[in-house]
Parts: sequence; structure tokens; C-alpha cells
Amino acid sequence: MTTQAATSASQIPKKKSANSLWRDAYRRILANRIALASMVVIIVYVLMALLAQFGLIATDYNLTNTDLKWLSPSSEYLFGTDIFGRSVLHRAIHGSVIAVTVGFFAALIALFIGVTMGALAGYFGGWVDDSITWLYTTIDSIPYILLMASFQFALGQGLSNLFFALGLTSWVTLCRLVRAEFLKQKQKEYVESARSLGASHFRRIFLHILPNVMHLGLIQFGLIFVSAIKIEVILSFLGLGVEAGVPSWGIMINEAKQELNRGYWWNLGAATVFMFGLVLAVNLFNDALRDALDPKLKNK
Amino acid sequence: MSDSIVQVKDLWVEFKTDEGTVQAVKGATYDIPRGKTVGLVGESGSGKSVSSLAMMGLIPQPPGIIKQGEILFEGEDLLKKTESEMRKVRGNDISMIFQEPMTSLNPVFTVGDQIGETLRLHQKLNKKEADEKALDLLDKVGIPNPSQRIKSYPHEMSGGQRQRVMIAMAIACEPKLLIADEPTTALDVTIQKQILELLAKLQEDFNMSMLFITHDLALIGDIADDVIVMYKGDIVERGKCSKIFQNANHPYTRGLIACRPPLEHIPQRLPMVSDFMDESGKEKSFDNSKVQDRIIRPLGDSEILMEMKDIKKHFPIRGGIFGTVKDHVKAVDGVSLNVYKGRTLGLVGESGCGKTTLGRTVLRLIEPTEGQIIYDGEDITNYDKTQMREMRKKMQIIFQDPYASLNPRMTVGSSIMEPMVIHNLGGSRSERQDMAADLMKRVDLEPFHLNRYPHEFSGGQRQRICIARALAVKPDFIICDESVSALDVSVQAQVLNLLLDLQDEFNLTYIFISHDLAVVKFISDELAVMNGGKVVELADSRSIYENPQEDYTKKLLEAIPKGIPKELAGLAERKQ
Repeated sequence: MTTQAATSASQIPKKKSANSLWRDAYRRILANRIALASMVVIIVYVLMALLAQFGLIATDYNLTNTDLKWLSPSSEYLFGTDIFGRSVLHRAIHGSVIAVTVGFFAALIALFIGVTMGALAGYFGGWVDDSITWLYTTIDSIPYILLMASFQFALGQGLSNLFFALGLTSWVTLCRLVRAEFLKQKQKEYVESARSLGASHFRRIFLHILPNVMHLGLIQFGLIFVSAIKIEVILSFLGLGVEAGVPSWGIMINEAKQELNRGYWWNLGAATVFMFGLVLAVNLFNDALRDALDPKLKNK
Repeated sequence: MSDSIVQVKDLWVEFKTDEGTVQAVKGATYDIPRGKTVGLVGESGSGKSVSSLAMMGLIPQPPGIIKQGEILFEGEDLLKKTESEMRKVRGNDISMIFQEPMTSLNPVFTVGDQIGETLRLHQKLNKKEADEKALDLLDKVGIPNPSQRIKSYPHEMSGGQRQRVMIAMAIACEPKLLIADEPTTALDVTIQKQILELLAKLQEDFNMSMLFITHDLALIGDIADDVIVMYKGDIVERGKCSKIFQNANHPYTRGLIACRPPLEHIPQRLPMVSDFMDESGKEKSFDNSKVQDRIIRPLGDSEILMEMKDIKKHFPIRGGIFGTVKDHVKAVDGVSLNVYKGRTLGLVGESGCGKTTLGRTVLRLIEPTEGQIIYDGEDITNYDKTQMREMRKKMQIIFQDPYASLNPRMTVGSSIMEPMVIHNLGGSRSERQDMAADLMKRVDLEPFHLNRYPHEFSGGQRQRICIARALAVKPDFIICDESVSALDVSVQAQVLNLLLDLQDEFNLTYIFISHDLAVVKFISDELAVMNGGKVVELADSRSIYENPQEDYTKKLLEAIPKGIPKELAGLAERKQ
């Protein structure tokens, strides 16, 4: 008996099967040219942010030289210079550090809160559901910018506080979606059969249902990423974002509002082009991701 | 003009998938005679539905490709028609009824609106005329009190009634051909019988032709004139219904006829298609009449494993603004039964009779309102969570839908090993893997498939995986809740045989729940008929067939498709 079992186990290939639903989605992403192109763009932005952060490119972003102020775009200064004679291109490159980190960490925090809350509310129902629903309905009924501004005010300015403020306010939609999906999934027989096998609540929530719901998290992650970048820009423009002096696209646009009537458009131009590129790439990738993860669109 | 309404000539259909091209229909040629019913039989994946979808111009292209062939409808090739020409044919000349009455009606419109829509679209009737006609149709399909029911929404109707509404929609424009694609598979046997009778009656009244698609050959015997049997895209048998049942040429057809649980006797095991032919389709010699009957030992020989004492489960109905309890649904209303060690208790009844609720209450997946559950001498009714988790090792359940009861994101191996992890069986991962591999072999699956995901398996294979998972904790007691109802008859026979073999090998005790009396009777030692939350008849499985006491039991017996062609059953009788 034991020897027989041993041979049968050795027949089992160690490699994971190439046919899990996740692998299917991965294959479909690789087959999609737009998805690949936008993935490349996203990677370029991330690399740019990393290199800038570690002082390997665009090191002179804060080098002031008033002799060179407001130079028009040229081959030396691709996007010209600002009021202090700093290279606008290099400031825009540094702006990607703020954008990528804010987007990533805000989305990560929102993902964590949204999925956990949604899972608990949907799975347990009853008073747990009531309190969580009450909480997110309340948060959702406050005008967004106002809420963000008050969070930011209470926590104080600064990059890490910005993550928290954005994260703490962006989880509501995700929480709703996850809750609804948990309500649906918990009635499926695979969950009931796990229960009849003696599986604990924890096991049923995190090992059984969550993997079947996680595609929502992935898609929402991209959406929150994009909206966090855009909101950071608006907040910085209003003077509520990162501290002045830190190069961010929002601050560049803020500075540009005094310059525009004199005809110096490049601060605005550079920030807009950089932001547009990243937001578009993430959005396109997200669309491709949604199609790849949706089993109903499978054979199209 | 010929006397055939439809002639399918050398039809080839293939589907392009990730794994390559699948030949769904390989050169099908058949006729549907005017005013007759043709039964198209085959298991899932045999291509039986594809050829009818081609007739309706409903094959999604891509991935489907109609490679060659003609489908002549009254002499015109349907495959050459444009989409707008086809729209005039669909619902008007040819209409279709689908399997799932729950999802094929739109939940936001009343049934009257939905029937009327077809009429307004194809017959250009105005609202009032359409309403009148809809009322007439509801009456024709046997919906009681049609003038009130016309304003009902689909969720207010039962499954059988919804299927009647679907039929009313299908016949609204008096089509020349009605395609019924597994119209009764999702229904109880008793409702199935009513729907079959209705279809037979309508077919005569309207002088329609009908193409009836099913996996269950016995069903077709009741209703069809001609039978076509499809296997893996090929037509393997075709002929008059009466001839096929008495003298089938192809071993596959003989296998299909034999694999349904018989009523008159209880064989040791069910014949399977694989007894009649091998994988490649080569005939094997097998004599069905040599299968011996099962010897049923008296129940008194065995000890009692579980006692249910006066079990009640009432669900409160809340109403009013304060959600006060107004009434109770008495799902299970005082059931006392004994289950004997190593034996099978069958629970049979229509949907809503409380059999499923009883099964879940016994496992305490639902808490009983009243009563006691005594397992192996111990009262487990008030066991707490930890005690109950220990009990779950001994008691298992196999659900109806093998598609829903496996987690789609877990490999089959992880699913089978999970109960071992929960209950700490087998020390290491590799030990558990060995145990899982053994279980796979025991349920006749390849051990190296452990790394695959559920969607890569067929329905029957998935049900085997569920059985393997239930066996992983070495239980003594298993509840099979409609475990074979979602399977093709040919696959059903295999799973039933497997359950019997496992019972012999591991001395398992089963409660087997089903709406199909023939299946329950085959597998059970003792049989409880349930109706309205109560057990109405309890007897051993032989005497329940030979000498049913209650009218309700007789009704259930009556509803089982006998597989007797309609000429033999006396069509004249039905006409009256």
C-alpha cells in the first residue's frame, strides 16, 4: 500500500498546472497588445520615479539660477525653465515620484480596508454588516474634497499623511463591491461544503471566498491608483497636498496659474503631459485586466 | 415539396478553442417529418444541442464554424439566410424552449407582457389583441386561473409553471417546428411528466413538428415518433422509436437503454455504457439479463447508527414594519427515522417537501427547531462548535451541483487535501498528497490530475472529486443530497455504482436524497417518502414499488419515465 502510494505521488508533476483561472488571465493579458504597451509605459514611469528618488537622473531639479528664469523650451531644456531657472522637465520627472508613491500606497491602504471590511460585512451579515454599511454610507455622504481636506488638515501636511488621507477615503466603492460579492459567494455550495468539512470562519473567508473575489480588488486597485494621482494634483493645487518646494505635478500646475497670463505655458504643459501619460496607461491596462479576469468574456 | 419540414444534410460544425479545434457535429444528416416528434438523444458534449442551435442560426461565430452542410426548412437553406431574414424565422416559424426556466424569463416583466411581446413583434397585434391571445395561451398550457396569473412576475411562479409560460411563448405564433432543448431536466419527475404530456398534447393540437433534445432516452420513449442517437458528434443510431427500444443496433444505444435504474427489480449494479462498448466505440459482449439482483438483508441485522427523534425545522415569516414573526414555514415537521449502520436510507419527494432541509439539519448545517439527533448513542443536538467540528470528520455530505461545490480557484488536490489539513490527518504534505492520489484512484480518476482545476473536468468527474473529498476524512456516514440529479443518465449509472462499491468497501452509511424514486429505490435499503415536511410512507425499497400504500407514493411512481414508446403505450388512450 505504501509503496504503491509513493509511486503515485511521484507521478504528480511538481509544477503548478498551467490552467488555473489566474494563469488564464495572465495569458490573455500577454496576448493583448494594448495591455502590453501600457504595461511598458507604467514600468517606465516606475523606473523613472526610482531613479529620480535615488538621485541617478534629473539631479538638478532644485538647482536655482535666476539668470536662466523662464527660458523657452529648447534642446537643452526640453520644457524650458521656471521662475527660479529650474529645469521644468527635471521637476516633472521628480513629480512622478510623488505620483507613483501616492497612487500605490493610497491604493494599497484602500485595498486592505475595503476588502477586509467588505468581506466581514458580506460574510457575517447581521450587526457587523449594519455597522460597516453605516460607516461607509456616512463617509460616502460627505463631499469628497472636503473630507480629504479635513483629514489632511487633521493629520498635518506631508507625504505619508497624504497616503493615509487618500487611503482612508477611497475604500468605499471597493468595500461595497466586495460585500456584494461575498453575499453572493457565501451561499454557493463550495462554501457550504467547506463548512460541512469542518472549516473555520477564517478559512472560509480567506482561503475559499477571497480568492474568488480578489479580481474585484485588483481592478479597483488600478482605479484607486488613478484617482489618487488626480486627487493629489487637485490637493496640491489647492495648497493642501505635499509641502511647497517638493516637486509634484499639482504644485507645478499651481505655480503655472501665475505664469500663464504671461505666456509661460510649459510648467502646466509638462505636468499635464506627464500625468496624462501615466493615467492613460493605468486606465488602459486596467481595462485589459478587467476583460482578462472576466470569465464571461473568455472566448472573445 | 417533401413531407419533411426540416432536412439536415451533411452538417459539419466545429469550435475553435485554446486547445485546438473541436468537431462538435460530424456530418449529421436527418429529417424531421411534418407533424411528428423527433427525439435527439446524447450525453453532454455529444453535439446534440449544436445541431439545433445551427437550425436557429444561434451558433456564436467565432468560435463556432459551420464548415459545410445544408439545413433545409421547407426547401430553403437556413444557413444561407441573412441575420434579418433569420429573425423572421426565429420565434415565428421555428421556436425554442430551453432547459433553465429560472433564467430564461426576464424577471422585470410580467409573464403576460413577455408572451405579448412575441405576438406584437411577429404578428403585429396591438396591445389589446396580444393580451387576449396571451390569456388564451396561458389557458392552453394549463396555468390555473390565467386571468390573474397573466399579471404575475416570473418569481411568483414555480419552476413548472415558468416552463409552461416558456412553452406558451414558444407556441404563441403557432410555429411549424418547436425545438425543446432538455426542457424538463431542471424539473422534478412529477412536473416533468406534466410538461411532457402538455408538449405531446400541444404538438397534436397545433399539428407542429417537434425536435426534442435530451440525455435521457427513457424520456423520449414517452413522446417521440423517431429517435436519433448522437455520440461524440456522430449519429450512431436513427430509427422508429418503437424499434430502437426493442432492438437497438448500436451498443451505445443499448447502453443508454440499460443504464437507467429499473423499477421492476433491483440489480446488484447498473449496467453502464462502458459495459456495452469500449472507448473506441468497439462493441463488447454483455448480457444485461445476467446481472444478478441485489440481496437485501433485513434491516434488523444492522445496528442503528443514527436516530432522528421528532425533528422539526420551522422558518419564521416576518412581516409588517417591525418585522414581527407572523407565521412559520414548516419545512420539516416532526420526522422520526432510524439510519442503520452500513445501510442506505432513501429520502424521496418533490422539491419543497423538506428532504434537503432534513438532510442539512441532521448534519447541523441548519439548527433544528425541535427534536433530537442521536448519533452512535450520543445526543449531538446540543454539541458546541468544537465538538461539532470533531463530528464533521464522521459525517459528510455530497451536494447536488458538482459545478458549484468545488472552489474554482483551488486545485482538485488542494480541495481533497483540505479536510485532512483541517482535521490534522496525515502528518506531512507529501503524505497527504499520497492519500489524495489514492482517493483519486479509488474514484476512478487519474492521480496526476490532482494539479488540475475543477473547470478542466466534466460534471461526472467533478462529482467523483466531491466523493473523494468526502472520503478524505474517512467518514462513517455520508448524506448524498441529489448527488446524481445534475448528471446525464449514463454518468449517473457510473456514480451510483461507485457509491455502492464504496459502501461495501468502507461499510459506509448513506442517506440518499432525490426526487427520482427510481434512483432512490435502486440504491436504498429503506425508503422514506416525504411530503409537506412529514414522512408519509416508510418501507423497504422492494415493497414500496410492489405495494405502495399512499396515493402520493403512487403518484411519484407514476411519474417515472418508463421508456415505453408511445405507440405501445397506446396513443389513443392519451387522446381521450
